[in-house]
Amino acid sequence: MEKEEEKGKRAEDISILIGGKAGDGVLFTGNILARLLKRYGWWSVTYRDFPSNIRGEGTQYVVRAALSRIENRREGADILLAFDCEAIKKHIPHLNEGAFILCDSADVTALKSLVSPKVTSIAFPLRQPAREKFGKELYKNMMAIGAISYLLGLEISPVETIIKDLFLERKGQNVVELNLKAIDFGFELGQKLIPADQRWFLRRLDDDERLILMGDEAIALGALAGGCRFFAAYPICPASEIWQWLAPRIRDFGGVVLQVEDELAALNMAIGAAFAGARAMTSTSGPGASLMMEAFSLAGMTEVPVVIAHVQRVGPSTGLPTKTQQGDLLQWIFGSHGEFPRIVLAPGNVEECFTFTLAAFNLAEKFQGPVVILIDLDLGQNLRTAPFPLAETWTIDRGKLLSAQEVAQKLPYKRYLITEDGISPRVIPGTPGGIHLAESLEHDESGLRSEDPHVREKMMEKRMRKLLSIEAELPSPRIYGQPEARTAIIGVGSTRGPILEAINLLEREIKIKFLQIRTLWPFPSKEVSEFLKGVHQLIVVENNFSGQLLTLLRSQVNLDPGMKLESLRKYSPDNFTPEEIYRSLKEICQ
Amino acid sequence: MSVARNKDIFSRQKPTWCPGCGLYGILEAMKRAAFSLELDPASVVIVTGIGCHGRFPNYFLSYGFHGLHGRVIPVASGIKIVNPRLKVIGLSGDGDAYSIGLNHLLQAARRNVGLLIIIVNNRVFALTQGQASPTSPRGFISISTPFGTVEPPLDGLKLALGAGATFIARGFSGEADHLAFLIESGLKHRGFALIDVLSPCVTYNRVNTYEWYKKHIEILNQKDSFPADLSLAWNWLNREDKFVLGVLYAREEETLEELILPDKERPIAELELKPEIEKVRLLMEKFK
Repeated sequence: MEKEEEKGKRAEDISILIGGKAGDGVLFTGNILARLLKRYGWWSVTYRDFPSNIRGEGTQYVVRAALSRIENRREGADILLAFDCEAIKKHIPHLNEGAFILCDSADVTALKSLVSPKVTSIAFPLRQPAREKFGKELYKNMMAIGAISYLLGLEISPVETIIKDLFLERKGQNVVELNLKAIDFGFELGQKLIPADQRWFLRRLDDDERLILMGDEAIALGALAGGCRFFAAYPICPASEIWQWLAPRIRDFGGVVLQVEDELAALNMAIGAAFAGARAMTSTSGPGASLMMEAFSLAGMTEVPVVIAHVQRVGPSTGLPTKTQQGDLLQWIFGSHGEFPRIVLAPGNVEECFTFTLAAFNLAEKFQGPVVILIDLDLGQNLRTAPFPLAETWTIDRGKLLSAQEVAQKLPYKRYLITEDGISPRVIPGTPGGIHLAESLEHDESGLRSEDPHVREKMMEKRMRKLLSIEAELPSPRIYGQPEARTAIIGVGSTRGPILEAINLLEREIKIKFLQIRTLWPFPSKEVSEFLKGVHQLIVVENNFSGQLLTLLRSQVNLDPGMKLESLRKYSPDNFTPEEIYRSLKEICQ
Repeated sequence: MSVARNKDIFSRQKPTWCPGCGLYGILEAMKRAAFSLELDPASVVIVTGIGCHGRFPNYFLSYGFHGLHGRVIPVASGIKIVNPRLKVIGLSGDGDAYSIGLNHLLQAARRNVGLLIIIVNNRVFALTQGQASPTSPRGFISISTPFGTVEPPLDGLKLALGAGATFIARGFSGEADHLAFLIESGLKHRGFALIDVLSPCVTYNRVNTYEWYKKHIEILNQKDSFPADLSLAWNWLNREDKFVLGVLYAREEETLEELILPDKERPIAELELKPEIEKVRLLMEKFK
């Protein structure tokens, strides 16, 4: 017999949509819910769809939680928390059959007129009682969390620790108490207003101390782990979270974060700091990346190890600053003037954001040049559950960096000494015996400018050779699915989650395999060619208009002309859903 | 270690600027100042931009970074912040600092980052063959302004003063002794020091020649104390008949590095990097 408190609808995968206007606290409410579900032992993720606006425009946030690992949202929602009637109007077509709506509206007639037979909705007053009971409208968010906890059959206790973590240090015990009271009140109101047959019962499991964090935060953590001690950046959506998270924490590691006047300064300053011996980094998005292109080339020519994180948003130009896209896949590969070696890493989930960033610092110092970590807004700004720790151990390898004693044995010192692997021993300013010039003009081995054609050729070859010697250390592609499959998918970055879920859905119907590109440059041509052996049909999935990944693939791999090639692209300002990929794959494969 | 020293310890290659170029005077003054302060070439970094001044580190022996057009100050700032023990000197031109890179100059002035910035102000784009620059005199006829410039010249020192610079000075490359004194004073200054050096371009600027400057400069009689008087500085900067040469304004204030660096004893560049696994794990736990 089922215990009384365990009555309710069961689920293994549930989505909650929160809709309202910018300024309503949609993000805040969703983040607490996602954290709560994570502590319940569920894998929870979020998906944001915000306007580039602080107050007033429609905004929505999805919290999805499942018993098995997920990395992305899916279509539909089981619960809609609507902070106004407009949110219902907007979202009703996207709700699952049997969905339940809580709407903060006093206007019951308006609400009734909106609702379709496939869903149930109730008026659930939030703002007014929040004002009356707690003196501020913003307590409506806590009330909503209480109400949803009741609706999902969750205990209140895990949320208490979340609230304490959030407010105790910053705002004190009083604020914590008030928030907890508002949650209790929302829970009680839920008991009164939510029909018993609408309740769920979500099993509580051990969360194995898992983490829930954004890709931007994972990059910031990776930077600390990787020894980053100098960070200069300019505010831009959706990359600011990286350095804003670091700003109060990097001091404990002996480092600094600077907000500077523009992206030109940001990268040039990081280059100066890296030249002087610090592990240095900057972060940006498309428009800032365009401004950084000149200095990118400078880092290549002067052979300065610097790390750049780029969180892509919708372009061109200012585009849609708060929406996701993979429209800059080629920017750092073919961008900037002249030719120089560069590394572009493309993490596909939060663990990779962490491990690739810390690897980026080792790679940068070992090959002495710029390393880019390229993600997009979806991966950068949404929460995802990940195992703890993000990596067990890691090391710091400073490559051919010479100490004063080592320089003394290698006199006369030549900064750009021609070597077999192209990598020259490096010395930082202040080291006796290591005096040299880092030169943006073409230069000879000692760093003095040279227009000698022979020197030019030798130096060009030396610089370009460096990539060959580091290639083996770059993150290689990951392969999923059935190895013998004749149908294959290639994707990069945040499309990884939806692709994996789509092939799971499809596996019973079609044999399929998937290769996730993890280093965009130098392109893993060998591994991709190997993967494509025997493949009859290849689908390249990417979040842009022109098929940039496909263009890159075509330029770097000799594709079998007999192989059927499909390009699955999406340039609306949203990542793919697994269902979209599933439907397209089915259509393609029929 | 006591070794016989003279200012030639700072010599690298033989310069190839046009004979008579003002940069020779600046190079000479720099060597004298560095020698007089007993600087170790290995503890000095010279950062240059694009223009005839860009070659400076080829001729002055120290660590050097020759970067992009207009970005001397951010590169120099990055170096100084991670290693305040270094003497970081930025050489920039009027095109480099007052045109393409102006924003950085003002921001560095307000930050009071510990750099000495020397502007080689020849009032023309010389390396690109003679176009007018933001400091060209009004009516300046050049390849890019065949009917004469219509804009008035801007004065970088006025801008820097407005932005909160703690040390501004003007020199003339024809007065190497005085310039060496200014450079020495700038190197001793706590924080951001800007020296605008009037520097004849013998090839592309036939207006502001050595002879012309000799008639249009007035050198302040200064030893080692300088006025921290904004209105006095402003009056000197607004003299219409003459350029007033000297340290026009100086005050002491905490530098950016002093304010932001967590460890005053240990520069970031000299930190012994460790993976810090335990500390990072503790931070990760906050995401549970």
